[in-house]
Amino acid sequence: MSHLRLIASAARGPTPDESCLAAFQDELDYVWRTLRRLGVQPADIEDMGQEVFLALRRSWGEYDSSRPLRPYLFGIAFRLASAHQRKRVREVATGIGEVLDAAPGPDDALESKQARALVLAALERIPLPRRGVLVMHDIDGVAMTEIAKVLSIPLFTSYSRLRKARKELESAIRRQLREGGGQ
Amino acid sequence: MSGIVPPLSPEARVLLDEERASPAQPAVVRQRALARARAALTAYPDPSMPAPALARPHARRWFLVAATFTCAIAAAAGATTYELRARFAAEALPAARVVQPRAEVQPAAAPPAAPAAETTSPAPPGPRAVAPGLTRPAGRTLSSAEAAALELRILRPARAAVAREDFADALGPIAEHARRFKDGRLAEEREALRVKALAGLGRQDDARRAAAGFKVRFPRSVLLPAVSRLAQTGQ
Repeated sequence: MSHLRLIASAARGPTPDESCLAAFQDELDYVWRTLRRLGVQPADIEDMGQEVFLALRRSWGEYDSSRPLRPYLFGIAFRLASAHQRKRVREVATGIGEVLDAAPGPDDALESKQARALVLAALERIPLPRRGVLVMHDIDGVAMTEIAKVLSIPLFTSYSRLRKARKELESAIRRQLREGGGQ
Repeated sequence: MSGIVPPLSPEARVLLDEERASPAQPAVVRQRALARARAALTAYPDPSMPAPALARPHARRWFLVAATFTCAIAAAAGATTYELRARFAAEALPAARVVQPRAEVQPAAAPPAAPAAETTSPAPPGPRAVAPGLTRPAGRTLSSAEAAALELRILRPARAAVAREDFADALGPIAEHARRFKDGRLAEEREALRVKALAGLGRQDDARRAAAGFKVRFPRSVLLPAVSRLAQTGQ
C-alpha cells in the first residue's frame, strides 16, 4: 500500500504551490511593471510584488487555468495598488530594484529611459480607476470585455473610463513635455 | 461601442510602445524576489493563512480591532496574575513585604547569542531580547511568520534609505536587524545593504571589510558580484 502511495505521489504533477510559484516566476517582470504603472513607488515595488504573490497563492485554487494569467494578475495588482495608494507616503526613491545592480544595461539607453519616465509621470496624473483601464488596454492589449470582467465594472463604464483616461494621458504628456518632465 | 473612444495620438502611442518594451528586471532582483516568494511558501504552509495586509482593508481593520481587544485582555490578565502572584508571595514570605517586580530584560543586556535565538529556531531558556510589540507575558518565542514580518519591518527603512541614497540613515536599521536577527532570513540582503551603504558613504575600507565578510558568509550568493563590485569601485 505504501509503495502504491509512493508511486502515486511520484507520478503526481507539481503541487499547487509549485505551479503558483512557477507562474509567478514567469510573470514577475509583468507584475513589477504593472505595479509601477499603477503608481507604486520603486522603493515599495518589491514588497508589493510579494503581496501580489501571496494574494495569487491564496486564490490559486479559484484561478481558471484555461484563461490568460496576466489579466488575473492585473486584477490582483490593481486592488493592492488601490489599497496601497490610500496609505502611501510619497518617497523620492530610485528603487530597490536598482540598488545593487549598477551594471550598465539596456535600461541605460537614455531616450527610452526618458520616454518611460515621461509615461510614468503622465500616468501618475490619471486617477487610478481610469489608469487601470488604460494600462490594461493600451499597454497590455487586453480586450475591453476582459477588462470589465477583471475589474468588476460594466462594459460601458470601462469604455467611458478609457475615453477619459486617454484624454488625460494626452494632456498629461503635453504638460510633461512643456514642463520638461521628460527631458 | 469602441466608437466613443477617440484613438491615441501617434506621439502617445510611441511613448506607450516604449513603456511596453520596458526591460526585464536584473537577474539579481528577480532572484531575490523569488527567494522571498519561496520563503513565504515555507513560512506559511497554509495558503489561507497569510492574508495580504493590503488586499482587504476592511478585514485588516477588523483584524486590528480584534488584535487590540485581545492585547487588552491579555494585558489585563497578565496584570491580574502578576498582582495575585505578588500578593501570594507577600503572604508566603511576610519578612519580605515588598515584592520587587522582575527587572525587564534590556536588549543591550542580552548575551551575544540571544539575537540569533530570535529566529524561528526554538529559543533557549533564559533572557531574550525581543521586539516590544511582540513580547508575550509568558515570553514565548516568535512564530516563524512573526519573525519574518518583523525582519521585513526592520529592514524596510534601510532599503528605502539606500534607494534614496541616504546611506547614513540605512546604517541604523541594518545594525538593528543584525542585533536582533543575526542569522535571520534576510541576513544576506542586510549584509549586501551594509556594503552598499558603507560604499555610498565613502567608507571604502569598511565596505571592503563588509564585502569580505559577505563573501565568506554567503559564498554562493547571487548578490556577491554586485557586492564585490561595490566594495572595489564604490558603485
